[in-house]
Amino acid sequence: MVNNTTTVKPHRSNVTRRKIANRIMLTLCMLASVAAVTVLGLVLFFLISKGFSSINVKFFTQLPNHVDEKAGGMSQSIYGTLVLLGLASVIGLPLGILGGIYQLEAKGKFASAVRFFTDVLNGIPSIVIGIFVYAVWVAPIAKLHPGTGYSAFAGGFALGIMMIPTIMRTTEEILKLVPFSMREASLGLGATRWRTMWSVVLPSARGGVITGIMLALARIAGETAPLLFTILGNEFFVTHKVYGIKVPTLTAPIDALPLRIYNYATAVDPEQQRMAWAGAVVLITLILVLSIAARAATRGKVLEEK
Amino acid sequence: MFFTKLNKIAVTALALTSLLSVGAQAQTLTGAGATFPAPLYQKWFQQYKAKTGDEINYQAIGSGGGIKAVTAKSVDFGASDAPMNDTELKNAPGIIHIPTVAGAVVVAYNIPGIGPGIHLTQDVIADIFLGKITKWDDARITKLSPGTKFPSTSIAPFHRSDGSGTTNIFTTFLSQVSGDWKDQVGAGKSVKWTKGLGGKGNPGVAALIKQTEGGIGYIELAYAVQNVIPYAAVRNSKGNFIYPSVASTTAAAEGATLASDFRTVITNTKAAQGYPITGFTFLLVYRDSKPELKKFLEWALTDGQSQADDLLYAKLPASVQKRALAAVATLK
Repeated sequence: MVNNTTTVKPHRSNVTRRKIANRIMLTLCMLASVAAVTVLGLVLFFLISKGFSSINVKFFTQLPNHVDEKAGGMSQSIYGTLVLLGLASVIGLPLGILGGIYQLEAKGKFASAVRFFTDVLNGIPSIVIGIFVYAVWVAPIAKLHPGTGYSAFAGGFALGIMMIPTIMRTTEEILKLVPFSMREASLGLGATRWRTMWSVVLPSARGGVITGIMLALARIAGETAPLLFTILGNEFFVTHKVYGIKVPTLTAPIDALPLRIYNYATAVDPEQQRMAWAGAVVLITLILVLSIAARAATRGKVLEEK
Repeated sequence: MFFTKLNKIAVTALALTSLLSVGAQAQTLTGAGATFPAPLYQKWFQQYKAKTGDEINYQAIGSGGGIKAVTAKSVDFGASDAPMNDTELKNAPGIIHIPTVAGAVVVAYNIPGIGPGIHLTQDVIADIFLGKITKWDDARITKLSPGTKFPSTSIAPFHRSDGSGTTNIFTTFLSQVSGDWKDQVGAGKSVKWTKGLGGKGNPGVAALIKQTEGGIGYIELAYAVQNVIPYAAVRNSKGNFIYPSVASTTAAAEGATLASDFRTVITNTKAAQGYPITGFTFLLVYRDSKPELKKFLEWALTDGQSQADDLLYAKLPASVQKRALAAVATLK
């Protein structure tokens, strides 16, 4: 505005104006962050007030009971979500971490193309990933073996794909933070490149890598869209025995918390609606635990050393 | 870190062992489809498991979804309130329709201060859903229910957003009774609505009606009763206003003649006491289905029938039951 006047006479009013502007902007910033936290608080309050009363032991131990809804639970959904997270990790962890290392180490056109496509993958809506898995996995399997196709494996596959970009980027970013001198020291002692990566760089960055994994898990734990086309849903546990040990049958349809919440929330049976709220409380708690675990993992690790 | 590592190893081992033993099946059958009979089916499957130990996993994803899933063979059986049309059948050779129960589609509403049982004629229902009648105190509505004082609330018609057998029953009925409807909208599992909002599944539409003053929509009888949503008595082809109930649904079902492959929509009944918006609901099964499915169908068509009344579905008329059992007997 009229800045040239300041050089002529630096009078008080300008300083006051700046101070006021500073105060106003600071207040606005504070209000914005308060608003964000309030929304979280309201969501939690709402969920707990609506859903907490339906959480009891049966909720965690029983299958849905359509003769008497109150006597039923969501044990198969909680179990299903955990199985799916495990499966997704089996696919997402190695690919994500190795991919992250590659992007850190490799130079050239191909590496930057990979990085670009990873970002694109990150931006693909989850429903599209669900349809993709349906097309390449569920439908062809159904053609080969009638009556199958929807399966825990298909769901884990879809969620695993979604984990890859998140883990890849966080791994790369966190490995970049490891001081270069540490590598030089390792290489100088005669270690090979992969030994340096495996025994020096990765361990010193493990807190950050674990954070990336936890964040990716927290993200996919709440996903419904990729599951709609892949797991169908199930009101039972499906297991079979391998050498006398019960294991989940990954080729059978499975349930998941977000999917069950989606189905029950749209139901008109008031008891099923209450169950949906309760399921949401459990799901949020699960995600909260993952996020807190991520925090705990980073505490006092890489960032401090830097 | 040690814990995570251990965890990872455990999960990997779990995954591998499961993959190695593909084919070991603990669950007996998987099915998907119609939401219309879902409350009954869920009870059936639970009781059937208690009785025989056979687990049947049924997911209510809508009739359209059920037909798609059974065509893709991603489930053992489908469920639909709309018989598959010829094109759909051609894509899924070997499918047969087994009727299980009949149900009524009710015209449910939410008008402030007005209880159940207002009278509606075929053409008034058509014009409400075409958007030609827009207020609840329209003379064409009020004169049908003398003594009831209608508010001037706007009418908000709701329909199904997903491919739905309930929609098929409702729109087939309206196409039979209204020329305008037949020309402008037509009949089918999903049609080109000229007015109103869509909800997903019977539950979705029921929720929309319940939440909206002036709302009207078509849902399955059990959903309306369970959620205490009032619904209308509808004039049938004999000129009687019939309130939907198990008795009037049964009357309509008994008055119907089904095609040899059961693919008939039985709306607009000629039975004097029959409710006109009624339909059979079907299980869609392949001729070479698993033997467990045949066993279940036999149970559903005999012992299972006694459950129907409680949940406001009409049992199969004896003649239809006999034919359905004969059809089941032809399964491998």
